[in-house]
Amino acid sequence: MPSQRSILLVDDERSILETLKIIFEREHYHVSTAASCAEALNILQDGHRFHAVITDLNMEEEDIGLKVVAAAIKLRPRPAVVICTGYPSLENSRHALDLGVDYMAHKPVELTELISALNRLVSRPRLGASRK
Amino acid sequence: MSARRIREARRSGKIALVVHPSLETLASFQAVLTKNEFVAIIARDLPTALLAITQHRLDVAIISSRIQEGGDGWALAGVIHLACPEAFVCVTSATDPDIFILQAAINNGAREVYLESNPVSEIVKSILSHIDPAAQKKASEDRVQ
Repeated sequence: MPSQRSILLVDDERSILETLKIIFEREHYHVSTAASCAEALNILQDGHRFHAVITDLNMEEEDIGLKVVAAAIKLRPRPAVVICTGYPSLENSRHALDLGVDYMAHKPVELTELISALNRLVSRPRLGASRK
Repeated sequence: MSARRIREARRSGKIALVVHPSLETLASFQAVLTKNEFVAIIARDLPTALLAITQHRLDVAIISSRIQEGGDGWALAGVIHLACPEAFVCVTSATDPDIFILQAAINNGAREVYLESNPVSEIVKSILSHIDPAAQKKASEDRVQ
């Protein structure tokens, strides 16, 4: 795991992806991006490890981002998992709670709150992380 | 709760904190949790709850979403999640969970939201199934036999 904090951003809207990338790079994160669920799953399955994964829900299909969530949560060390969605529903919120998502933001996202939550989440001890 | 019983509970590793403004509800939770081999620490207000957090390593926390005013239980759930990250933190709500209640649960580290109108025994049974699915499965198999 690199010493710089790293995040994977997943969103099918390029403008959101680029904006969030700029914002988190200013916060000294190393940012990787994926423009679809399939691309994100490939990145996660290729053995890349992140301190956090931030994903949209509705991409190729409705609520497909939950597949990214499920894959991210299985990783060790477990990254912090954040959902940013413009279409929260009882079903996807319930599913997110059951999966153990760490933070859920509804679009339009309050950036200061998201950054603050992410900084808090990545600084906590993580499941499966080795202690030095 | 005597200091001796709390020491014993620490050895067996099962301490539950229940925070709710109603004494009747607290008494119900205490009775059911004790029956399930927990030591239940109860609090009716935020200062007492915070004191309990400083003195115990909690395994379970059951927090009312409304302690003194609407929504103050969520922040307490978040504090417990930070202080005891391994604890199963859940929140009871007077209303059916909507997307904002579920969002509050996720963002404050609560693992489950229960309707306050549900029987206390059902809530505790559900909590047990979350924290020890194997034991719960065995218990239900024993009941079937």
